Amino acid sequence: MEVDWGLFSELFGRTFTFWWVILPAILLGLIVGAIPGFSAANTIIILLPMTLAMEPEIGLIFMVALYASSRMGAGIPAILVNIPGTAGAAATPLDGYPMTKQGRAQQALSISFVSSVSGGLLTTILALLAMPWLSQVAYHLHSVEMIVIMLFGISLIATIAAKDTLKGLIAGFFGLMIGYIGADVVYETPRGTFGFLELYDKVPLIPALVGLFAVSEAFAVIEGESILTKRGLEAMQKAGWKETWEGMKQAVSRWWHIIWTSIIGLIIGVVPGAGAAIASFVAYQQSKTFSKTPELYGTGHLDGLVAPESANNGVTSGTLIPLLVIGVPGGATAAIMAVVLQYHGVTVGPDLFDSQPELAYGAFTAMAVTYAIMIFTILPLARYMSRITVVSTVYMAPIIISFTLVGSFVPRAYVFDMYLALAFGVIGYVARKTGYHVAAILIGVILGPLLENYFLRALRISQGDIMVIFSSTLGNIMWVLLIVSLFVPLILDRRRKQKN
Amino acid sequence: MSDENGQKSGKPAKPAAGAELVLPVAALLFTIYYFTTIINVPWTAQVSAFFVGTILIGLIIALVTRVLIKVKRGEATLGMGPLFAPKNYVPKRLALFGLTLAYVFLIQWGGFTITTFFFLLLAMLLLSNGKKKSLILALSFTLSVGGYFLFIVAFNTRFPRGPVETLLHGVF
Repeated sequence: MEVDWGLFSELFGRTFTFWWVILPAILLGLIVGAIPGFSAANTIIILLPMTLAMEPEIGLIFMVALYASSRMGAGIPAILVNIPGTAGAAATPLDGYPMTKQGRAQQALSISFVSSVSGGLLTTILALLAMPWLSQVAYHLHSVEMIVIMLFGISLIATIAAKDTLKGLIAGFFGLMIGYIGADVVYETPRGTFGFLELYDKVPLIPALVGLFAVSEAFAVIEGESILTKRGLEAMQKAGWKETWEGMKQAVSRWWHIIWTSIIGLIIGVVPGAGAAIASFVAYQQSKTFSKTPELYGTGHLDGLVAPESANNGVTSGTLIPLLVIGVPGGATAAIMAVVLQYHGVTVGPDLFDSQPELAYGAFTAMAVTYAIMIFTILPLARYMSRITVVSTVYMAPIIISFTLVGSFVPRAYVFDMYLALAFGVIGYVARKTGYHVAAILIGVILGPLLENYFLRALRISQGDIMVIFSSTLGNIMWVLLIVSLFVPLILDRRRKQKN
Repeated sequence: MSDENGQKSGKPAKPAAGAELVLPVAALLFTIYYFTTIINVPWTAQVSAFFVGTILIGLIIALVTRVLIKVKRGEATLGMGPLFAPKNYVPKRLALFGLTLAYVFLIQWGGFTITTFFFLLLAMLLLSNGKKKSLILALSFTLSVGGYFLFIVAFNTRFPRGPVETLLHGVF
């Protein structure tokens, strides 16, 4: 297996011809990334009708570009007003906001942009070069191993992304049970359908994700009439061009810091459920540990801004790897991309590298091209895009509700799906308010039917012997790792509590 | 200080852990219902769901036990505070939910454009307490008509169609 340079160069050239898709996606990504609590995942959901109408390749390029640019946009309000646009930018204000308070906002923004673009571009190229080997991994995985991997994915999301492991596991397994709704694949027996014919063909994924993410969030954000404080608004208006050049020079001089912290992001991004929030904090913590001036972290230290911004952009390519290699989404946005591709009849997983390499590798070339284009567009665009943070929730919440609900109608043209999205909205709202992870529920819903298929396949091969799930050496190693991953955080947490 | 129910008290408020049980109880009820629908079907339709469902029930029992222990120790209450907090937004949220239900119910007859216009108008007026009427009117009109042109005319997406869409079909 070796890198097919011809294919890659052809894909790069081809992706550049889609600049007319990438540019608006960058613009949109920056806008939505800058809106606190409004992620790329939600934007893809809002624009579902448009994404579903596109060719799969164009749709994928659009989603990838939007994803990458929104990650960068999230750093803008984090730096200017101490409000991270997404959880992935939660570590950015630790040193970014003190810089703003010191009157170095524009400098901080340029450092953030250069770190994000460089980190994102580097890790995307690394991921692309490693894909030919990574894609072979999947051929060594059979039904039994896939069962453990799916349960592993759910448990990792529960232990890493959710604050409470037990709640995270409940959310994930509840999602799996919802994913089991529908007629069984062998005898077509309806199961858990509440008598609705519309559910015989499994739970449609688009209403599930619309409800869990967008509708529930819209009902939650109305608590605040505005997302900005008066001080935040003033800070936003004061940001200028003055220190842009200085900031860029400082970021470039920290090239080694950008490289190793973005690789941390890439590695963490590969773990399903880990995500940008964890990556940025781990990178920040490592940066501080190896710094000669750790005492200055939190006061406007440049390395303290470079580390989380490089890492959270390193995550973007990482989360696509498990999706494309084994068909398990690495995060919420990757899960939504999988849903859109499934709608187009594209099954994500290892076979995609042979059947449609332009999609499998194209996801990474699209990301690399996006970062390359952003180098030239981000500085002039970002300053004005950040103004979106002043939009009131009074207008945002109804827009999100109406456009996403109609989006859930599009795939099957059933009004039932809009009611279903609303029902998932209620589940998502309760989950948000009581500390359960909505991404864990969604990933459960996506993995449910897949898990059942692998389960049935394994049992049929073993003629109904349930112990087949412990019959493979690789599978058993993964079972042990799964159990370790579940119990180690619990033990560490208990020890930490005892110490405190 | 004020607790999560918005009540003022001198002591630190105990967490209202009852709300944490809403989702697990719903999951438990659903799992039991699911089991009743597969009890008399071939094993192929049962086995995976029983495997996952049993683990889920085990996890729910663990969480309920944890909450009950906290309540018994006096570290938490069975209150539902977090679910409805902040309380002053409950009427607004319920009204918005009612509007959303009406929107979904009416869109099959009214179609996207007109139903979305009225939904946006009423929902924004509700959330803004009736302020900035002209801006909201203009925004609702622009978004619903813009949505019509973008999604229905330009992309020919399967949006719900009603009298407005039928009327304009001959024009665009």
